[in-house]
Amino acid sequence: MIIQSLDPRISRARLDDQSCDGQLSEHEHFETFEVFQQVKRGTHHQHVGSLHAPNPEMAILFAKEQYCRRGKSVNLWVVKTSDVFVTDYEDADIFETTEDKKYRDPEAYKVMDRINAYKARLNP
Amino acid sequence: MYGNAYIETDGSKVHSIIADEDPIKLALFEARIAAGDKIEPKDWMPKEYRKQLIRMIEQHGHSEIIGSLPEGTWITRAPGFRRKLALMAKVQDEVGHAQLLYSAAETLGKSREDMTNDLINGKSKYSNVFNYPAPTWADSAIIAWLIDAGAIVNQLANSKGSYGPYCRALERICAEESFHLKYGHDNVVFLATGTPIQRQMVQNALHRWWEPIMHFFGPPDKSSQHSEILMRWKLKMGSNDSMRQTFLAMYVPKIWDLGLTLPDPNLRKNEESGFWEYTEPNWEVFKQVINGNGPCNKERLAVRRMAEEKGRWVRKALMNQGAMYVSPLS
Amino acid sequence: MEFTQKHVLGLKELLYKMADDQLILGHRNSEWTGLGPMLEEDISFSSMAQDKIGQSLALFELLQELGESDPDTVAFTRNDNQFHCSQFVELPIGGYDFSLVRHFFFDHAEAIRFEMLADTVFEPLAMVAKKFKGEIKYHTMHADIFMKKLAEGGPESYGLIQQAINDNFGLALGIFEPGEYESELIEAGIFGGENALQSRWLAKVVPLLESFGYTVPKVENTAPALGGRKGIHTHHLQPLLDEMTEVFSIDPGADW
Ligand SMILES: [Fe+2]
Ligand SMILES: [Fe+2]
Ligand SMILES: [Fe+2]
Repeated sequence: MIIQSLDPRISRARLDDQSCDGQLSEHEHFETFEVFQQVKRGTHHQHVGSLHAPNPEMAILFAKEQYCRRGKSVNLWVVKTSDVFVTDYEDADIFETTEDKKYRDPEAYKVMDRINAYKARLNP
Repeated sequence: MYGNAYIETDGSKVHSIIADEDPIKLALFEARIAAGDKIEPKDWMPKEYRKQLIRMIEQHGHSEIIGSLPEGTWITRAPGFRRKLALMAKVQDEVGHAQLLYSAAETLGKSREDMTNDLINGKSKYSNVFNYPAPTWADSAIIAWLIDAGAIVNQLANSKGSYGPYCRALERICAEESFHLKYGHDNVVFLATGTPIQRQMVQNALHRWWEPIMHFFGPPDKSSQHSEILMRWKLKMGSNDSMRQTFLAMYVPKIWDLGLTLPDPNLRKNEESGFWEYTEPNWEVFKQVINGNGPCNKERLAVRRMAEEKGRWVRKALMNQGAMYVSPLS
Repeated sequence: MEFTQKHVLGLKELLYKMADDQLILGHRNSEWTGLGPMLEEDISFSSMAQDKIGQSLALFELLQELGESDPDTVAFTRNDNQFHCSQFVELPIGGYDFSLVRHFFFDHAEAIRFEMLADTVFEPLAMVAKKFKGEIKYHTMHADIFMKKLAEGGPESYGLIQQAINDNFGLALGIFEPGEYESELIEAGIFGGENALQSRWLAKVVPLLESFGYTVPKVENTAPALGGRKGIHTHHLQPLLDEMTEVFSIDPGADW
């Protein structure tokens, strides 16, 4: 039966409610890409999300509208998700910095105490 | 539907839900959530958590894509440049929301194709409200204002949930929803403060939509150990009734402020308790609509099937045989 | 140089046909919103339809400055015989093959038209042309990539697109139907004229399509679909206009 819709677009399509099954086969919506947006020159590209696309060129086309249709952007990267190598959250402990790594931080260097002590010794 | 309104809390006992989970991993998982940390895709998670999340995010995604149809009814007929452009941008955003949500659900291991098939085969559910027709322009205004308002109440709550990808998607979505809400309100205000014909039109639409809107937040939840767990896991961020209360408190005054009436004589704020009182909507109707027997369910799914079918040759042509599918990162 | 009355008439004619093309095609393409072949493309195509309607608004605003009624009145109250769009843009969206080929043909014409207008002596139009340069660049980029990838996508997609090229080449040529004031526009430096536009367009799209592997019908053997610029339209336009104005006509005096 042809669907009579309130939506003129649908009525125009003369849509038969039986005629198509629309079933999708595996990967019919392609692989995914990760999208990196740069909002301003001089800033880092930021990961903003992912999308499905059949190839990198179209991934760029789609990313531009899905992730950059508002606000400012100056550059975009897309990367196939399968090409991204990631760490495991299970291994998050590799990022832990222990107390003894203080020597890497500027706060570990407090020379004023020493200078003042030296001055006090010179001019008692 | 939009988030947690339709999580199924079937009254199962805590024991059966987490019985075969590794107690140490479970404790770590729960501690992480209790500490306000987010769960990320590759983390260990209880099976029930994954199952409910997929169901919830997927239904939310379906609601967005199906939700583009009732308003889409008016895309070619929006009056004038301003409305036309805004309506297109709004419906486009809803399609974008589906895209974001399906991606979030995919990180849990269900493919977009499987989700779409479940939708068009009637296996998945989506929000009740999109199974109603939008017979006049004012209906599209009411949808944009009040349905989106309801969605925002849910989405804001859910954006504080525990699953990282869902929260991130919702953050972007909520930012766009505020435009929808403003657009919808502006649209309703123009009608309500316009000519008698316009006013009548928006009043009628409001009456038509009131019961579906009350249904939107889902039936009062029965408290069960199951729902307690879902709350503890920050999957369910509030009861259906509390969401409905938030909505009523924010929007009924705004509706009345325009001199519009609502079709519920018992609707009022109880000044003592601070709660809104109302006639319980007919939950049998809600059940019918959710289960495929609303006025537009058949058309909505047929349209989705047609859209997939019409696009098939394009997708087939573009498919890259060497492509390696992995689920999106985050 | 002072504009004579004929220059102004020519300018208005030019603006009307451009604005009408964009308005009608924008409306047509908006029909894909929510129904596209994949979510991501749905969003892209909808943006481009929005751009078109936005561009038509900008052109109607120029017309208003030249003494015509406000954009909403002009865009939403005329009948088909008062419209100057080409017949190509008024046809229903059909399948994605037709919509894409129309998008490719039309947007390349539009891109070149705006390029030519970037240095028109009519300043406000030059500014509009420059303002939309980026939008239109994205449109042609999108069209080119799709046409190319669908050529490479196997016999079914190649065949459908090739057929759509064959079927619609004459309709596309109708875009360049000369107006009444071509020589005045050229002489005053307002616009280089439809003939020049058509040559530049052919020089662009023919090699491009051939490089993708398509063949393009010969201009000499193709009858252009003329009449649109003079208000002669297919039976598809009036129903679309009725749809566009359906809400307005419920209460013509109202503010929507
Ligand atoms: Fe949405
Ligand atoms: Fe929305
Ligand atoms: Fe364009």
